[in-house]
Amino acid sequence: MTNKNTTPSPKIAVSLGRLKLNNPVMTASGTFGYGEEYAGYVDLNKLGAIVVKGLSFKPRLGNPPPRIMETTGGMLNAVGLQNIGVDAFIEEKMPFLRQYDTKVIANIYGETYDDYKKVARKLSSVKGVHALEVNISCPNVKNGGLSFGSDPKIAARVTRAVREETSLPVIVKLTPNVTDIATIAEAVEKAGADAVSLINTLTGMSVDLKTRKPHLKNITGGLSGPAIKPVALRMVWQVVQRVSIPVIGIGGIMTAEDALEFLVLGAKAVQIGTANFVNPLVTMEVIEGMKNYLAENKIKDINNIIGTFQP
Amino acid sequence: MAGNIYIGEIIANDEIQEDCFLMKVRTSPLFENPLPGQFVMVRIAGLNDPFLSRPISVYAFTRETNHCTLELLYRVVGKGTQVMAGLIEGSYLEINGPLGNGFDTANVNEHIVLISGGIGIAPLSMLMESLRQTARHASAVTMMYTGFQNKDAVVGLDKVRGICRDVSVCTDDGTLGNKGFVTQHFQKDLKKFIPEKTSFYACGPREMLKALATILHKSKFDCQVSLEERMACGTGACMGCAVAIKDQAGAMTYKRVCADGPVFHLSDIIWDEM
Repeated sequence: MTNKNTTPSPKIAVSLGRLKLNNPVMTASGTFGYGEEYAGYVDLNKLGAIVVKGLSFKPRLGNPPPRIMETTGGMLNAVGLQNIGVDAFIEEKMPFLRQYDTKVIANIYGETYDDYKKVARKLSSVKGVHALEVNISCPNVKNGGLSFGSDPKIAARVTRAVREETSLPVIVKLTPNVTDIATIAEAVEKAGADAVSLINTLTGMSVDLKTRKPHLKNITGGLSGPAIKPVALRMVWQVVQRVSIPVIGIGGIMTAEDALEFLVLGAKAVQIGTANFVNPLVTMEVIEGMKNYLAENKIKDINNIIGTFQP
Repeated sequence: MAGNIYIGEIIANDEIQEDCFLMKVRTSPLFENPLPGQFVMVRIAGLNDPFLSRPISVYAFTRETNHCTLELLYRVVGKGTQVMAGLIEGSYLEINGPLGNGFDTANVNEHIVLISGGIGIAPLSMLMESLRQTARHASAVTMMYTGFQNKDAVVGLDKVRGICRDVSVCTDDGTLGNKGFVTQHFQKDLKKFIPEKTSFYACGPREMLKALATILHKSKFDCQVSLEERMACGTGACMGCAVAIKDQAGAMTYKRVCADGPVFHLSDIIWDEM
C-alpha cells in the first residue's frame, strides 16, 4: 500500500497584490492572440491568466513584411503591434474570453500619454478584464520616438496617467533595452504600479549575407525565445531587490524548470511567450511540471519556493 | 478550431531529386483529413536550434484503420529543411495540423487550370487528385502547367501525369520540355480559356505569382494561389506571416498567411507592399 494517492496535490495559487491567480502561469502579450487562437489546444480555464495582444486606441496595420526571423535559440520580430483596436477587442473578443474562468489581462499601448489614458479608460469598466498591463517599450512619438520605458521620469508619468484612469490593478511591462532596469522599476512603483512584468524583447538584428540587407523589413526587431532567458533572470534578480511590488518574470521560458528559476529569484508569477509558437501545449506542460516538481520535493505550496534564491 | 499536436513516425524520407525530399510520416488515426492547400507545422521535439517549427504543405494523405500517413514533398532551402532531410526512418516528429484554409473547391468550373512553379507542384498535385475523386469534377477538362529551374529540379511530375492528361512542362534553361518560365507558356494559351467557365489555381515562387498577377490583371479570371511565408506559430497568433491584401473596401490590410490563408485570391494581393 502506498499513501501516494492521499497526498494532497501542491498548492499553486499565487497573489499579485489583489490580483489572485489559480497558478503562476500566464501567457505573454502578443504570443497568444486573444485566446481563441489556442483554445483548440489548451484548456484556457487552466491558465493563471491570459495577457492579450497589445491594444491601441485605434486599430494598427502593423509593419510591412518580412516581420520575423529565426535566430539561434530564438526569433526576432517586428510585427509593429498590429491589432484590432480597443473597441473591436471589447466588442468582438471579450465575449469569447468571458466564457472562461481565467483572468484576462489587457495589454495596452500608446504613442502619447493621452492614448494610454483613453485605452485604459475604455477597458476599466469592461466586465471580465481583471488587470491592465502597460507596454512602455514602444516609441514615444512626442519625445522624439524614444521609448516611454527608457527614461524613469517618462515611465513614471505614463504609469500615473494610466493609474488615474483605472481602479484595475496596473502592471507595467518593462523593456530590457535600458542601462538600469531597476531604476525604471522603482520609478513606476512610486508612480502607483501594482506590479511589474519583465522582460520585453531585446532589440536585435539579422543580416542576409546574400543581399546584405536586413532579414526584417523594419531592420531591427525584438529578440525572444530561450536565448534571452539568462538576461531575463539577471534583470528579474536586479528588480526584486529594489521594489516591493510583485514581479512577473518573462523571457525564454520553455519548461517548468525555466519558470521555477524565475520564482526562486522572487518573481511571483511568470509569462510564457514565444514557447507557445513552437509548442502550443507548453503552458499546460509547465503547470503540470511545476506541480510535479513541488510534489517530488515535498513542497506543499508554490509560495514556499518564491524568493528562496541563495546567492 | 480543434487544434492538436500529433507524434509522427517517419517511415520514409527519400531524396527523390537533388535537394528535394519525399517524407512519409505515420501518425494518429485522429489526425483530421487535410484539405488540398492546407499545411502542417513540423518540429523535432525539444530542439532549440533550429528553434521554430517549419510549415510544409500536405502532398498526399491516406487513412488506414489504425493510422494515417502524411506525405510531405519539400526542398532543402535552409536550416530547418536541412535538419528534416537528415532524419532517418523510425525518427519522430511533432506535427501540428492540418492548418490554414485549403483551396475553395465548392465552386469549381468545367475547366480547371493549375499552374505550378518548382515545389509548388505539391499542393496542386493534391488538389488535382482530390478534384478527380469528386464525381462532380471528375469530367472537368483539366490542364496543368508546371515549371522548374532545370531538368534536375523536376519533381512530382509522374504523379500529376498519372492524374491529368494535359501536363505542360517547361524549364528555365530548356533542359526538359519547353524553354522559359511557366507563366510565359501559360500566357500563350490564355485565349483558350473562357473566364466564366474556368477555375485557376496556382502555387510557386513569389516572382512567378507576381508575373501571373500581371498576366491575369486585365482579364476577368479569378485565380486562387497558395502562398508561402516564414512562420513562427502557424496558428494565427504571432502575426509574423503577413501578406498585404486589399480588403472589401479596397483598403490595404495585412492578413496572416497561416490563419487567413495560405490560399488567397491572386487579385487581392498587393505585391508592391511585399
